[in-house]
Amino acid sequence: MYNDKNAQTIVDYIQNFTRKNSLFMLAYGTGCGAIELPATLTSRYDAERLGVRGAATPRQADLLLITGYLSTKTLKRVIRVYEQMQDPKYVIGFGSCTINGGMYWDSYNTIKLLDKYIPVDVYINGCMPRPESVISGFQELKRLIAAGKADGAKKYKENLEWYRENQKKVLKNWPLVEYNW
Amino acid sequence: MNTILIQILGALATILLAFIVGMFYGGAHRKVIARIQNRVGPPIYQNFIDVLKLYSKETSINHGVMQHMGPVFAITASITSLMFVPILTDGNWFSNLNFSGDLVFLVYMMVFGSLGMALGAGQTGNPNSAIGVTRGLSQMVGYEIPFVMAMVALMTQFHTTSITGMIAVQQQSGTWLMFSNPFAFMAAIMAMLGMFSYAPFDIVTAPAEVSSGPISEFGGKYLGMMMTSGSIFAFVKLALFVDIFMGGASNLVVLVIKTFALYMIPVLYGVISPRYRTEQAITYFWKWPLFFGFIAILYAAF
Amino acid sequence: MGTTYSKEEILAQQLQTAFEHLITEVVRKDTVFAFATKEQVSSILLYAKEKLGYISFVHLSCVDWLESGEFELVYIIWSPETKINLFVKTRLDRENPSMENTDMIWRQINTYQREIREMFGVEFPGFVGEKEFILEDWEDAPPMRRDFDTLEYVNDTFFEREGREDKQDVRERIAKRSGEEIPDFAKKYSRE
Repeated sequence: MYNDKNAQTIVDYIQNFTRKNSLFMLAYGTGCGAIELPATLTSRYDAERLGVRGAATPRQADLLLITGYLSTKTLKRVIRVYEQMQDPKYVIGFGSCTINGGMYWDSYNTIKLLDKYIPVDVYINGCMPRPESVISGFQELKRLIAAGKADGAKKYKENLEWYRENQKKVLKNWPLVEYNW
Repeated sequence: MNTILIQILGALATILLAFIVGMFYGGAHRKVIARIQNRVGPPIYQNFIDVLKLYSKETSINHGVMQHMGPVFAITASITSLMFVPILTDGNWFSNLNFSGDLVFLVYMMVFGSLGMALGAGQTGNPNSAIGVTRGLSQMVGYEIPFVMAMVALMTQFHTTSITGMIAVQQQSGTWLMFSNPFAFMAAIMAMLGMFSYAPFDIVTAPAEVSSGPISEFGGKYLGMMMTSGSIFAFVKLALFVDIFMGGASNLVVLVIKTFALYMIPVLYGVISPRYRTEQAITYFWKWPLFFGFIAILYAAF
Repeated sequence: MGTTYSKEEILAQQLQTAFEHLITEVVRKDTVFAFATKEQVSSILLYAKEKLGYISFVHLSCVDWLESGEFELVYIIWSPETKINLFVKTRLDRENPSMENTDMIWRQINTYQREIREMFGVEFPGFVGEKEFILEDWEDAPPMRRDFDTLEYVNDTFFEREGREDKQDVRERIAKRSGEEIPDFAKKYSRE
């Protein structure tokens, strides 16, 4: 009875419904993109009507929004923040810097592809993406969650060694802590 | 046997009622803020979705025993205080555990949740938690004094320490206590602003200053428990104030109307106010509320 | 009567009287260059600060003259009375460059020295400061040197998104598609 497939489907449906309609967002403002977020969250575009809400610490957050380029120094902190978040967790890469390096494509100190280091569920392209694009990114993430396809955290768990190898290529002497599942 | 069954069912119904009403009030709070800021705002049931999601999250943080006990203390304190507040004036349902000294007991019990929280937050070792706890306890010292003074004034004036006694006084005289001792009401309402710790008194969980303070290490299910406890406790405070100052409520509709009207005071006061600093908050409570508290006691004595 | 001197020329003469073999140049209004040797720099800075009123330290930067095999350090100081920017320039050998520590004259030079040590590899013996400043775990050559090949380093260290290897110039295709012309000034930026 309890392992009934239909029952599980219903539970999954409810879980996904709540997860997609209540996203606690930790906006990691690394670059210029952070300036788009106040507009997204306040009166003009009001992301709170979609259930997106700011979280103060990684422990409370579901969604890590990385706004802009990541220097190798920042990447360390981002990895630590990502690993402190609790499952289920999602990552949105914001701006072309997280996609292919953007205007920092030949910088000696700025990583180019974010998804080689932590799994990214949705990308928002543009330089800068306007608040409309950010909200469209949220909607895309919601669609993925509803379909059960936003499984970046699972991917990270399964391919942890691959991710660690990539991370260690950049962060040479940084003690990467053991993952706290 | 039958009365015990009714009591247990009534207690469960009370918890459910407090949870649902508190959650909807939380949603209404967010909606009101949004409308005042000219936003659409989240749906009024948004807090239910949040809590359900938080309960379905995995929680794998371990900082020690007290960290796991902190949210439990908070929720226990909320439910215990709920049990001692008469929700409706008549009928066996929702009467729960009233006894003749329950006002004194409640004044003590309402602090217990914060203390449990403080213990739990202290165990996490997060510096923001420690700062948040210090701020919270300082603020409690601020608002507890006028609140207790208002309660003492009422107790001396009407020679009763029970909430049902207060309700009986109001039913006999026909006037609400907020009119028969307005100074006590003023002091208690100003203390209530601090109890809810909405803006401008949200110094404990200020996200921009101390990263949500005591709860900064609590995620997932623990945060869900905090939210549940918070909404139940909000209902407890509102029901207590309605019982003492507004003549209680004879049925649920009246209860909801009265509590909602009372709830709008801290909400609306908060929407238009920026956050105080800690010492500003404490001096706020130690000025006018304290003054009204003294006047209330003098008014009650003579 | 004798010729009147501008305040810039007065400063240049003051410096030349105080230091032998110092070459000075009045570049424009409010700007004076002084080309000093490595040993003179700290005494010039101290003299300008104590005697001439150049109390404000503006900037310390480094220029890589790869062709002549030298680094050039530029100390910029400013006086609130004369409102002149005094540039004290000195050349260092590019092999094992080292410069006297001057952070006791102005404390904020410390930060600039840390940055220059990290980015150009110029050593400041006797200078106390954390080894790592902006870069962490850096094992390669100092990255602001001109012989450091950034692109090669980036290609070695970071990843390229797949499907972008050809790096085609699609501007002409887009211009043709939308029926526009590429303006002349933009043509010289073509990748070919």
